[in-house]
Amino acid sequence: MLRSKRTEILAASMLMAPFAVTYGVLFIYPTIKMAQLSMTNAPLIGPGKWVGFDNYFRLASDRLFSVAIWNTLYFVILSVIPSTLIGLLVALGVNRLKGWLQSVVLAAFFLPYVLPVSVVFRIWQWMCDKDFGIAQHVIQLFNDGQRLSIFRTIPLFMPAVAVVTIWWLIGFNVLLFIAGLRNISSEIYEAAQLDGAGRWTQFRRITWPLIWPVTVLVFTIQMILQLKIFDQVYLFSQGGRIDTTIVMVQYILKQAFQMNKGGLAAAASMVLFVLIAALSVLQFQLLRARGER
Amino acid sequence: MIRKVLFATLASMALTISAARAEDTIVWWDFLSGGDGVRMKTMLDEFNKEHAGKVKIDATTLEWGVPFYTKVQTAAATGQGPDIMTYHESRMPLGVSEGVVSPLTPEELSAAGIKPSDFSPANWKAAQGPDGKQYGVPLDIHSIILYYNKDLLKKAGLLGDDGKPKGLDGAANFDSALAKLTANGVVGLSTPTADNATMWRIFYTLLNQQDGQFLKDGKFLDGDNLDKATTAIAEMQKWVKSGGTPAKTEYPASIALFTSGKAAMHINGVWEVPTMVDLAKKGQLFDWGAIQIPTFYAHPATWADSHSFAIPNRQGNPVDPAKRKLVLDAIHWFNEHSLEWAGGGHVPAYLPVQESAAFKALKPNSDYASLAKTAVFDPVSVLAGVASPVYDAAGNYVMPAMNGEMAPADAAKQMRDDLQGQAK
Repeated sequence: MLRSKRTEILAASMLMAPFAVTYGVLFIYPTIKMAQLSMTNAPLIGPGKWVGFDNYFRLASDRLFSVAIWNTLYFVILSVIPSTLIGLLVALGVNRLKGWLQSVVLAAFFLPYVLPVSVVFRIWQWMCDKDFGIAQHVIQLFNDGQRLSIFRTIPLFMPAVAVVTIWWLIGFNVLLFIAGLRNISSEIYEAAQLDGAGRWTQFRRITWPLIWPVTVLVFTIQMILQLKIFDQVYLFSQGGRIDTTIVMVQYILKQAFQMNKGGLAAAASMVLFVLIAALSVLQFQLLRARGER
Repeated sequence: MIRKVLFATLASMALTISAARAEDTIVWWDFLSGGDGVRMKTMLDEFNKEHAGKVKIDATTLEWGVPFYTKVQTAAATGQGPDIMTYHESRMPLGVSEGVVSPLTPEELSAAGIKPSDFSPANWKAAQGPDGKQYGVPLDIHSIILYYNKDLLKKAGLLGDDGKPKGLDGAANFDSALAKLTANGVVGLSTPTADNATMWRIFYTLLNQQDGQFLKDGKFLDGDNLDKATTAIAEMQKWVKSGGTPAKTEYPASIALFTSGKAAMHINGVWEVPTMVDLAKKGQLFDWGAIQIPTFYAHPATWADSHSFAIPNRQGNPVDPAKRKLVLDAIHWFNEHSLEWAGGGHVPAYLPVQESAAFKALKPNSDYASLAKTAVFDPVSVLAGVASPVYDAAGNYVMPAMNGEMAPADAAKQMRDDLQGQAK
């Protein structure tokens, strides 16, 4: 049966149409509307007057907004690189195990991923509670016998939330890395061992380059995810110094739902959107360039 | 034959429809998750039993504070949400400006038997908007009190013969009382020092005891009010610095410190009275009492807020008039039965109950009911109320100051500047 180009194109368009329509309605259209909203002074619900770039100028002069940006970037640095590397390390370890032990260990690392964020929050808050938490017995060893409220001590807040986040989400990274590691043929390792390559050399010359695409993928996914951080920071900081540890999505929430400024919140959202897009493209180009060396 | 079947079908349909119509459901959202929430559940069960077959309240308790109010706002905006909700009167200005609450007409209020004269004028007015319309019906007035452990106070010589604390009035006396208790190896005062709401309540109490005003003519902490605010924060900081109060204590931990007998005193809301009462009933609590917050400065004053009932303003799907009537009737029922709610530690807003002999005799409420006379309510502003910028400012400035991370003068100044900046 001969297929003309026209039929091919028609078939392709028909198959793509459902996705294109959904994508357009659920993503393109709201984004355009949000860009429009960011140019108005609308409240959370209802229309507003056109004000041009006024909202963006306000953001530029709002100290709280710059704090939010810095905190978000700081959190990304604290959580993305460690969670990628730790995920790889755990995957390497799990890959060496065999049979049911491997399944059990893998399940153990993946278990936190199943929990909703509010449960994760409750577990860690209660464990680390300054007066009654069991973790305090360990903390006291490092703190001159004094109890310490981890999440209410500002310099420790972001690192602690990063630790909780890594603990929570590591299973996902491990899974991706294991899939990548299993794709490396064991014959390459055998050949290397015959040539007298040690463990470290094998890792540096075989594992690391061959798993590079997965590393880049995990890194990109984690970075995009953590740039949108909200839940953990919001939960662990509520009741205390929320302005000092505020992150971008939290700032957007404050402007939209507390201050009732829909236009300003939309402007902040646009800034976050552009930031995520720019950072993702930038780091993807950088890492790909390195990989193709 | 066919006629018989047809008739039977129609009859059973009619019966099913009428049976389904028989019981109306009122969807209810509240944020009463403290010790008092248990009392509310009992009241809801009682209401449902009394009105079985006619009206049923389907109640959900959501998390207090920001989570509740953001959920209510988004639900109302999208035409969803409950038929009735609890709403803090301190937040009414903000709620009205957001368009979240629906005005209650004088006709429907009087049809349900709800009269303004049954509430104290300030309480009734606090549920109105700037347009003078009524947006809520008060249920109670609640405040903070001082819980105390009679045995531990007695050991430090701070208990009078009437079983009530003595020597706590006056800032200097209170500080030395804390020192005495600490010397005995006991935590003097446990309070949620990591909770912004508690910070606000204590700060506002101390400010008003000095005749200070938080907001006046659109200006926050103007003139010598700033100095009074600094004094209040400095006093709070002294409690922690002297070791009398543990720093950065979370809300549940602060209660546990008291109920486990480690702390002699506990400042918290009246809503934890049921927690104490229930523990005492099980024989798991020491000899305890509760009094109005001591007078530290010129005259007594205590922060107070009021829970009210409101009907959400659901966009595009308003609560229909028949349902509104049922809701208002239910509100009236809850007001008439608010003596039971007083078991949750609160002071009923409904005057016929508040002034009844039964309430006057209720323990431990009668030990601290005097606070109602000198209660001070939150400033009337869209920036004030639960989960508002004012509450956030208490967490951002008063909390670190109390825990020794900020100087009191700086905290007061920054709080003023932060709120004044948002007032534009």
